[in-house]
Formats: sequence, C-alpha cells, structure tokens
Amino acid sequence: MLDLRGVAVWRGRTQVLHDIDLSVGAGELVALIGANGAGKTTALWTISGLLRPRAGSITLTPPSEAPVDLRRLKPDRIVGLGVAHCPEGRQVFRSLTVRENLLIGAHRRRDAAAVTADLDAIFDRFPILGERRGLWAGDLSGGEQMMLAIGRALMSRPRVLLLDEPSLGLAPQMVDAIADVLVGLVGDGMTVLLVEQNARLALDIAGRAYVLETGRVAVSGLAADLREDDAVRRAYLGVGRQAG
Amino acid sequence: MDIYILQQLVNGLILGSMYALTAIGFSMIYGIVRLINFAHGDIAMIGAFVSFAAVSLAGAPLVVVLASVLVAGAMMGLLVEQVAFRPLRGAPQVNGFITSLAVSIMIQNLGILLLTAEPRSLSFPGYLSRRIPGLAINIDLLDVIIVALSLVLMAALMTVVNRTRLGMAMRATADNGVVASLMGININRTIMAAFAIGSALAGVAGLMFGARYGQIDPMMGFLPGLKAFVAAVIGGVGSIPGAMLGGYLLGFGEVLFVGLLPPEYASFRDAFVFGLLIVILLVMPNGLLGRSAEERA
Repeated sequence: MLDLRGVAVWRGRTQVLHDIDLSVGAGELVALIGANGAGKTTALWTISGLLRPRAGSITLTPPSEAPVDLRRLKPDRIVGLGVAHCPEGRQVFRSLTVRENLLIGAHRRRDAAAVTADLDAIFDRFPILGERRGLWAGDLSGGEQMMLAIGRALMSRPRVLLLDEPSLGLAPQMVDAIADVLVGLVGDGMTVLLVEQNARLALDIAGRAYVLETGRVAVSGLAADLREDDAVRRAYLGVGRQAG
Repeated sequence: MDIYILQQLVNGLILGSMYALTAIGFSMIYGIVRLINFAHGDIAMIGAFVSFAAVSLAGAPLVVVLASVLVAGAMMGLLVEQVAFRPLRGAPQVNGFITSLAVSIMIQNLGILLLTAEPRSLSFPGYLSRRIPGLAINIDLLDVIIVALSLVLMAALMTVVNRTRLGMAMRATADNGVVASLMGININRTIMAAFAIGSALAGVAGLMFGARYGQIDPMMGFLPGLKAFVAAVIGGVGSIPGAMLGGYLLGFGEVLFVGLLPPEYASFRDAFVFGLLIVILLVMPNGLLGRSAEERA
C-alpha cells in the first residue's frame, strides 16, 4: 500500500533521515518506534508532504490501482489520495466545534450524503464525541481530543492512517481505550502506520515494526519477534538482560 | 436625550461603521497569515478612486459603483498578496510587517505619480446628501446607506465565515495552518480568500470615506488604515467580531471625544485614539475579544 525506498530527509543543514526503507501492506498495523529525536515524526511529515525528501521514493499503491508517487505533492493533494495524518499532540482545531472538526476532516470530499453518514458512524464509534458535538474542541479532555483527532482523520475516508504518538500525555486507561480503537480499526480493514514512543504498547498491537535510531532503520521485523529481541528489550522496553 | 448628543452618537455610528469595515480585513489577514498589513488602508484609498472613476467620470448607478469597488478591492488584495507577501511566507513576522509598510508607501507614491497629490472632489448625486426631513437631527440618505450597507456586509461576512465550507476552512487555517493542510485544505487558496474578502470590504470603506468627506487623494488611506488597525487591536486582533466591536467603539469614542469636550481639544482626536489603544492594551493585553497566546497554542 505505502512504500518508502531510500528516503533521505534534511531539516536545514542536518540530515534527519538516512536511506529509509519502509513498507505498509494493505490491512496491516505497522509500528515505527524509537527514542525521542530518532526521526519518527519527520518520517510521517515526509509521507504527508509537509517535508520534501532529498532522495528516495514514496509510493502509494491502492489495491488494484496504479501506484502514485507522493514525493512532489502538497499535503492537501496527498490527503485527497487517501493518506490521513493524525498529528502529534492531537492538534484539534480548538476554536471549532467537535462537529466542525470532523467536517474539516472531510474537507476534500464532495459526497455530502456519505459525509453525513460517516459523521454518524464516528459518533457510533466514539459516543462521547456525539454527546459533545456542539462543544468547542478546545474544551474537551485530552483523551476526548485524541478520539476527535482520530475521528477527524477517518472522515477523509483514508486508505492509510498515519498516527503520531496517540498515547502521548494520556491517562493509562485512556491509552488502553485508544489501543482498542486502533485494533478495532485494523479489524475493519484499515491500514495504519503508528509512530509511538511507548514501544510496549506499539509492539503489543502492531503486526510488524521498524525501530529507528538516529534517522536509520536499526531493526525491523514482526512485532512478536521484536518483543523478544534482547537489544530492543533493553533499549525500548526497559527490560534488563538478567530480568529477561 | 439631548439632541446634540444624539447627533454625535449617530455620527459615531457612521464613523464606526467605516472603521469596522476596514478593521475586519486587518483582523482576517492577521488571523490567517499573522501579517500586520499596513497597506490595508491604501486599498481603501484605491476603492475611493475607483468609485470616483465610476461616479464622476462614468456616471454609473450606485449599485454598479459598489460592485466595481468590491471587485477592485478584492483584485488589489490578491495582487498585493501574490507580489509582496507570498514570497515572504514562513519568514519572521517583522519581515511581513516592514514589507507591508513598503507596499503602503509604494501605493501612495504610485497614486501621487499617476493621479497627483491634488485632492479631488467626489460628488455623488445630490439626492444622497439631502437632509432627511422630519428628523430633529441631521442625517442624509448617504449616512443611512453607509450604516445599513456596513451591517449587510458584516452579516454576509459572518454567514460566510460561520456557515460555509470556505469559512470553516478559513477558521481552521487561522487556528492551525499546518494541521489544516493535513486535512486537505488548500492553504494558498484560503489565504487568497482572506485577502480578497478583507480588501473588498476595505475598498467599500474607502468609497464611504470618500463619499462622506467629499474629497479624495492618494494619501487618504493612511490615517483611517492606522485607526482601523487600532480598532482591530482593541477588539482582539484575529477576531472578526472583535474588529467590528473595536471599529464601533473607536468611532463612538472619537466622535464623542471631539463633540463633548471643549473645541480646543478637538485637534487631539488622533492622540485620543492611540491613547485609548494604550489604555485598553494595558488592561486587556489580548484586546476585548481576543484569545491569549496560551489558548491558541
């Protein structure tokens, strides 16, 4: 579905990503984990078109459709092609209502009747958003804002959902709720690329994972294998050799 | 109520309408691109000259004059955005601020070059400036049109901003531009819309200033532009209802200041306007309806 080949990204004079190869197949939940500053968010920004790679290719291949090169497109075009990005820190539009935030997610769609139906589907999936549809998004709690941010991304009817640190700053039970939502989405056939610092959570729900270290893919493989990998356990799961 | 005070209040309402129309564009543009556009008042001046051309030279009916001023204002806004401000997108705020001063000076000097600095009289058909009979205070049809047209335009603007797809995209972009682009909003188009709408309203305000004072010249946009900026800041820059509120407050304040104090203070009216700005910002740093930086983050 989504393939990165040899992607190199610079921010100013610093190279942040080196030769990244990464692929997400249709219906997969793939996790991208790593320490702060490893380049995880930069990778998502590059896929979404907020940053331009200096080298490499980024290709979106929807099932039974021709591949599209995303590398030179602007963010609003990339959303139109079916890549939705749920940014770090939720970043809901605080001065818009819950309902308006969701409608903004569907900004590029012209099928008004289906948009209304999808709005109802979001309110079914997240009943709390339905209750608060008329409130300012800035007045929601952190967990509610996270659900709104996910709902807003879903309103574009994405083929691939990019999620940046959905667990950040949330209470533990809310983190579990978000994890359930993601598992549910993948169960419904959604393709997800999940960036997380909470490696334990990510490796629990992902099928495959990539570990980024200072802008390079250090390890990749099945999430189940990475959970058992000594180096990964020591570096990201906080488990020492003796304990493991 | 004293008839004199009533007359002053009506005058304040008229002046406030014109300030409000100008201030809205200031606030819209600031809200979306964080640009303080000092060339905004000069677009009002261009609106005044377009109405001069339409009325005095072509003898066009009022509706045609209004339409051409709206279109000319919008076109000028788009031109200035494309030529001067788009290349600076992403640069520090000060760069845009200084560029807008340069644009303002260039428009004024180009105006002097092409049209001379000589004031021209803008004369609308006589029936517009005939006093409405049967009223204790002095109001003519033009005053009624200025107040009513301002209200209609502001109501139309609020409908666009609050009820349409474009308006929602504009509010989302003002709230968080990067994320708005991630939602599929074309940021360039949204910014262009803000410049076009804001500048069209400024053009109409220029028509009103010209019609009410009867004289226009290429420098006429400077002071009203500066005062509309003050109005926008008083109301809370970035907030459209704030710009409207600030415009009317300033209009009433300025007229009452001149009207109620002994005549020797009248020449201090501009000092009063800027003094009011300082006092309000001391008490409410974000303006009356503005949101604080923390709330925005």
